[in-house]
Amino acid sequence: MTIAGTESVQNVHRPVSPSWTGVVRYLHITPRAFLPMESFNDLTLVAGKGIVGDRYMIGQESGFYSHKPEDGRQITLFEIETLEALARDAKIQMLPEEHRRNVTVQGVPLNHLVGRQFWVGEALLEATRLSTPCRHIEEILGKAVFDPMINRAGLNCRILKGGVIHVGDIVRGA
Amino acid sequence: MAKPIKHLQAVVRSIDEPMPGIKRLVLADQDDWRLPAFHPGAHIDLHLDGGLTRTYSLCNDPADCRRYIVAVKKEDSGRGGSRYIHEQLRPGDKIGVSVPRSGMALAPTAMNIFIAGGIGVTPFVSAILALEREHKENYVLHWTSRGNPSLADMLQPAIRAGRVHLYNTLETAAPDIQSLVRHYGDDAKAFCCGPDRMLDAFEAAVAHWPDSRKHIERFVAPKLAPTPSAHPFTVVLAKSGREKEVLPEVGLLATLEEMGADVSVSCGGGICGACRTRWIEGPPIHRDRVLTPQEREKEVIVCVAGCAGSRLVLDI
Repeated sequence: MTIAGTESVQNVHRPVSPSWTGVVRYLHITPRAFLPMESFNDLTLVAGKGIVGDRYMIGQESGFYSHKPEDGRQITLFEIETLEALARDAKIQMLPEEHRRNVTVQGVPLNHLVGRQFWVGEALLEATRLSTPCRHIEEILGKAVFDPMINRAGLNCRILKGGVIHVGDIVRGA
Repeated sequence: MAKPIKHLQAVVRSIDEPMPGIKRLVLADQDDWRLPAFHPGAHIDLHLDGGLTRTYSLCNDPADCRRYIVAVKKEDSGRGGSRYIHEQLRPGDKIGVSVPRSGMALAPTAMNIFIAGGIGVTPFVSAILALEREHKENYVLHWTSRGNPSLADMLQPAIRAGRVHLYNTLETAAPDIQSLVRHYGDDAKAFCCGPDRMLDAFEAAVAHWPDSRKHIERFVAPKLAPTPSAHPFTVVLAKSGREKEVLPEVGLLATLEEMGADVSVSCGGGICGACRTRWIEGPPIHRDRVLTPQEREKEVIVCVAGCAGSRLVLDI
């Protein structure tokens, strides 16, 4: 017997809700640990590898966490709504180049996408896990962002289908 | 498994010697990528061969974010960092560099009084270049040196504008610091970097000023006051669970070094902040000149800290 509302959530294969459609607001990469992220209008994604020129491109890793290899860290996303929340709730001004994720999106419920596939422009991504905040960002920024970013630090993804993505691209469920 | 990357990897683009005994290094990313931003008066650690870590003030304009410039005086009686830079470091060498730290909060409209002795001018060079770029004239530099000043080529516009007063102590007496700081009004802010005797005179001259109006940069760590009442305690590294007794005569820093703990150390005297570490249990006895009271609730400068309790648990 299953009590209503308590069925296991692990085995429920729900489609991504079609009720959201997001957009890419910013794209950033950096080639090596500690260096600032630079903004680009487009990025080239390579399936199963990463972003051309970024420090976590598999096979050419030079990031702060590269000594901990992770297949599901080929590209990372961050909600622009979190930046707004940090300003509103914690009075911390954090810029899109400061959260150190690659893609800043608007209107995308990232925390809902773990284990699911979605499109960013012509690229197909699979969300592998939530990103976690890290002291490394505090060290680089000199801003106390660790605690306010807990549970909203972005999303790590694997690239299933590569391509060139652009600022302004639509983000939608697969 | 690959080793963790703990520092920026910079390339030594050039080394010149603006005057004998002073080497000026220009550091950049290998592809000239933008470097982490810094504030006027900020400093970086250079991670040199042989495990040497030394802290130097950045002396280029903070707006010039594709390179870091530091000036290093050779100290033959020092601990070896400046000798390595003068005798072994070459253009093209790679060098580990920390993210810039600290800096000086300049008065936006009130007078900024910079008092420098010799190579102690370095933190003020970046500040003056920033002020000049913003066409601000609310500063004055009083710069004492034995002989010609060492980095005058970097401050030519300020010197031509009459905002730099040079005192060559081979030809004239060193200025009276008390008289230098008292003519700029009650909202002026004073900064000093130089040898101990100059810093002592400065501290005496501004003793009655509020802390928010004075700033001291030390390049020699002050000797710590003896603590005859210090007691042994156990330091615990939370992530590995390793622990070791800290004897008063050995101290926390040496104990951590014996343990091979992952702590970056530079000044060893509680003034540079390179070894700031999060603590979990203690409480620590703070003896640094870096952390604010709020920061001390979670962090500790381990190179000078003690422990008020029987166990100091560090989050490393």
